[in-house]
Amino acid sequence: MKTRWWVPFAFLSPMLIGLALFRFAPIFIAVIGSFFGQTIRGETIFKGLANYVDLFEDQSFWASIRTTLVFNLIINPFQVVCAMCLALLARRPTRFVDVFRASFLMPMTTSIALTSVLWGILLDPSMGPVNGFLRWAGVPAQGFFRSGEQAIATLILVCTWKGAGYWMVFLLAGLLAIPKELDEAASIDGASPWQRFRYVTLPMMRRPLAFVLVADTAINFLLFAPVYVITHGGPNGATHLLMFEAYQSAFAFLNHGRSLAISTIILAIVLVIAAFELRLFRHKEGEP
Amino acid sequence: MTKLTRRQVVTGSLALGAGATLGANIARAQELTLKVVWMGWPDGQVDPLMNEFQRRNPRIKLAVEKIPFTQIFQTLEVRLNARTGDPDIYICDSPLTASYASRGHLMELDQIIDKSRFTSGGLAAGTYNGKLFSAPFGSSMQVLYYNKAMFKAAGVAEPAADPAKRWTWEQLVEAARKLSKPAENLWGFAFEQSERPYQLLPLGQSLGGKALSEDGFKASGFIDGPAFVEAYGFMQKMYTEWKVSPPGQFDPATTPELFGSGRTAMMVAGTFNNDTFKSRYPNLEFGVAPMPYFAKGKPVTPTGAWHIGVNPRTTHKEASATFIREMMSEDIHSIWFKLRPYPPVLKSIFQREAAAFNTELWKVALAELDTTAVPRPATPGFREYEDVLRVALRDIQTGANVQQALSQAAQRIDRELAKYRG
Amino acid sequence: MAPAQMRLMVFMRYAALIAIAVTLLAPIYWLLMSSFRPAGDIFRFAGQFSIDTLVPTTLTLENYRAIWDGPFPRAVFNSLFVSLVTVALGLLVNSLAGFAFAVFEFPFKRTLFVAVLLSFMMPFESIVIPLYVLMGWLGWVNTYAALIMPDVASGLIVFLFRQFFAAVPKEIYEAARIDGASWWQIYRRMTMPLSGPTIATASLMMFIHQWDAFFWPLVAASTQDLIVVQVAIARNMTLEQSNWGSLFASASSAVLVALVPFLALQRYYIRVVTLNAER
Repeated sequence: MKTRWWVPFAFLSPMLIGLALFRFAPIFIAVIGSFFGQTIRGETIFKGLANYVDLFEDQSFWASIRTTLVFNLIINPFQVVCAMCLALLARRPTRFVDVFRASFLMPMTTSIALTSVLWGILLDPSMGPVNGFLRWAGVPAQGFFRSGEQAIATLILVCTWKGAGYWMVFLLAGLLAIPKELDEAASIDGASPWQRFRYVTLPMMRRPLAFVLVADTAINFLLFAPVYVITHGGPNGATHLLMFEAYQSAFAFLNHGRSLAISTIILAIVLVIAAFELRLFRHKEGEP
Repeated sequence: MTKLTRRQVVTGSLALGAGATLGANIARAQELTLKVVWMGWPDGQVDPLMNEFQRRNPRIKLAVEKIPFTQIFQTLEVRLNARTGDPDIYICDSPLTASYASRGHLMELDQIIDKSRFTSGGLAAGTYNGKLFSAPFGSSMQVLYYNKAMFKAAGVAEPAADPAKRWTWEQLVEAARKLSKPAENLWGFAFEQSERPYQLLPLGQSLGGKALSEDGFKASGFIDGPAFVEAYGFMQKMYTEWKVSPPGQFDPATTPELFGSGRTAMMVAGTFNNDTFKSRYPNLEFGVAPMPYFAKGKPVTPTGAWHIGVNPRTTHKEASATFIREMMSEDIHSIWFKLRPYPPVLKSIFQREAAAFNTELWKVALAELDTTAVPRPATPGFREYEDVLRVALRDIQTGANVQQALSQAAQRIDRELAKYRG
Repeated sequence: MAPAQMRLMVFMRYAALIAIAVTLLAPIYWLLMSSFRPAGDIFRFAGQFSIDTLVPTTLTLENYRAIWDGPFPRAVFNSLFVSLVTVALGLLVNSLAGFAFAVFEFPFKRTLFVAVLLSFMMPFESIVIPLYVLMGWLGWVNTYAALIMPDVASGLIVFLFRQFFAAVPKEIYEAARIDGASWWQIYRRMTMPLSGPTIATASLMMFIHQWDAFFWPLVAASTQDLIVVQVAIARNMTLEQSNWGSLFASASSAVLVALVPFLALQRYYIRVVTLNAER
């Protein structure tokens, strides 16, 4: 709505000051930094596009891109679907619904670093209780994070363990905002549960779903703690995500220009995918 | 009305905040505080040292930050990269001395320390380009621990404690095969740090291999040479063919638990584990033997440890020098030895704590330090070297082609080390 | 629907709820249960499954006693303080901005919104050095300000509020404006009171974000008096000697403390918001 010019400005300025100082400025410096390099004595030298060219010529970079895209293409929809299922299960006032909801929320209370350490131990091939249980049940011990085939799937499942409850919270808030009458009316009209879900619930969930998908995408593209703690990119590069490569470039290979170039590329990719996702959930009136 | 008030509040707070920080800065400049970044050892192993320093130097305050091991290198990178005077002092892993020094993050210590008091090994670990850049604070040594009960039960002869009669790797594998039952999660042997160059370089070095070129800039032809290929091929078979070691056991924090809870009969690990086993697994009967070697080669053991470094940009040069001198005093080294029994680097400690060295463990460890210890290669690009090699060693353990993995690693290392030439 | 079919549906729902709850809770149960074991027992029963893996043979409080003496209680206080202040400031700052994006038209609105989204899409490790230098200039290194201020304004939370506020039909605002209400009054008296679940969700997000903070506190404010909970937990893992008992006890404590706000705010998810019914 239109109003006096300074009203929106007043509402926005505290946030803008905070973001400008602590996000926009450092991000700008980082992006500019991707066009520079550092000598070992700390002098900055202009490199133009050299960091990017080096990346594009690096086979392992492209392998990282492939791994990251595959990872995200699977995990983002998977987590949103899981979260939606949890939200649907948790919204009906069944007995003990509070207890169930609390149990869904529990994994949220562990940080990603602690989750990585915990699951690293639980899924340890020889010391882990999970393999202990499998052995007892007669199933051969699995490699999980140490197996080339299972590593990325294990990573997806561990991240979903942590994230499903987290995203459920948002979707639940959205579900609870849908007036009961709409659903009841559709039911009286003879719609099946699936039809009710597809034509009443989902359209009203456009905005929460858009939020969850975009936020989840950003978080998953920036994910690397489990890779750093447990797999270190392996086995044989199976979990070598882009973000891990950026982190290693900065802190192991001491090549900050390269790290910033990778970070800028990640930023660009996430922005493009987020724009696509927002368009997907665009509201009928033309407002995303 | 309401909007203007809010704006006034915002500007007012900004002004207040600016004034407060200015005042705080002025106050801070008047007292002398050294900012120390230390390893996140338990408080009981850090505070006694710092308190002793404060007792002797009440006019120098210490602001000590204890950073967990998993983040110490990264945190230091951020701080040092900002190229300010913060921190004044920091803990420095000895093989990184060259890396920090070449990038201008360490102050020369030749004038501050009396080098004659130290062991040659300790000094070598902190020297770069002929100058001492990090103050030696301890050393390290690896030994072979073995579970006496498991050996007795399987009727296998124990490894000899006499370094002259130490086992070969071949002998070890032979014994391990009799002690392993992979299906029941029982193993004959495990490396404490099964993917780290610290633990595994001695294997190739035992066969005569060199980990890196003399000048510290070239890995191709060295780490992927025949000695290392043969050594790591042997190591790979421990996991894949002979099945005497648990594959995928990369976390050095859980491997001692493997030994302590009786799941592995032998383990090559640091001297420090001795105390852990005695306190956490009191019923464990274990013995100590020297680290094995390859029959056709020579015994080689790893070494190197935590040193102390000074930020050359420190604004408190005198106080920092005092700190180093105090930390290198015999009293402080003695306290440190009692808190965390690393092999000493100060010659006088050997006499002073002679009683403690009478155990089986120390007899083996000290003998090794004198005869077989080889520090990690000195190169400014040690972080890069170590990280690339780690990945290769992991992949080798899970079955990758040894020559290929090592050659690829060598090429990557060469590329990363190129920036340190000239 | 036939009664038998309904009973099946109910049974399926409960079965699904229980199965999911068990899967999600099992690792945390193991964490909690391990914290009550003596250090030697934690791994003794881990590799082979037996009843001892699930139920400890010896129970002890020694791990909790140990962490009580160390920096952990201080860390809990610091993290609670930082988290709660961030939530208080952040709710105000970010909801105001979300409101603006949802309700007003102004020049560069689209660009600004993209910028807001962008702010949480850049890897933190790439901005940590400039951010640290900035803390140095502001004199905030090793202060609570360094832990709190950079995380008050959050693009993600602005996005969250904006999504919710945009669902409110414009006619409601028009009616209120015609009645002479100022925008501040509309925001404060109409929109915010009806945003229970969103406020609860935003609070939980910001709380968890600060509660989980690890790398930034290490870089910017890691003196003893400012230690935060995740750093205190991580201190138990050193290279040659990991203190598993303390690790699990402190991790369990952190999990239990973090659960409190979630349980407290649960009731906001029961209240059904019916803006449409207001019409």
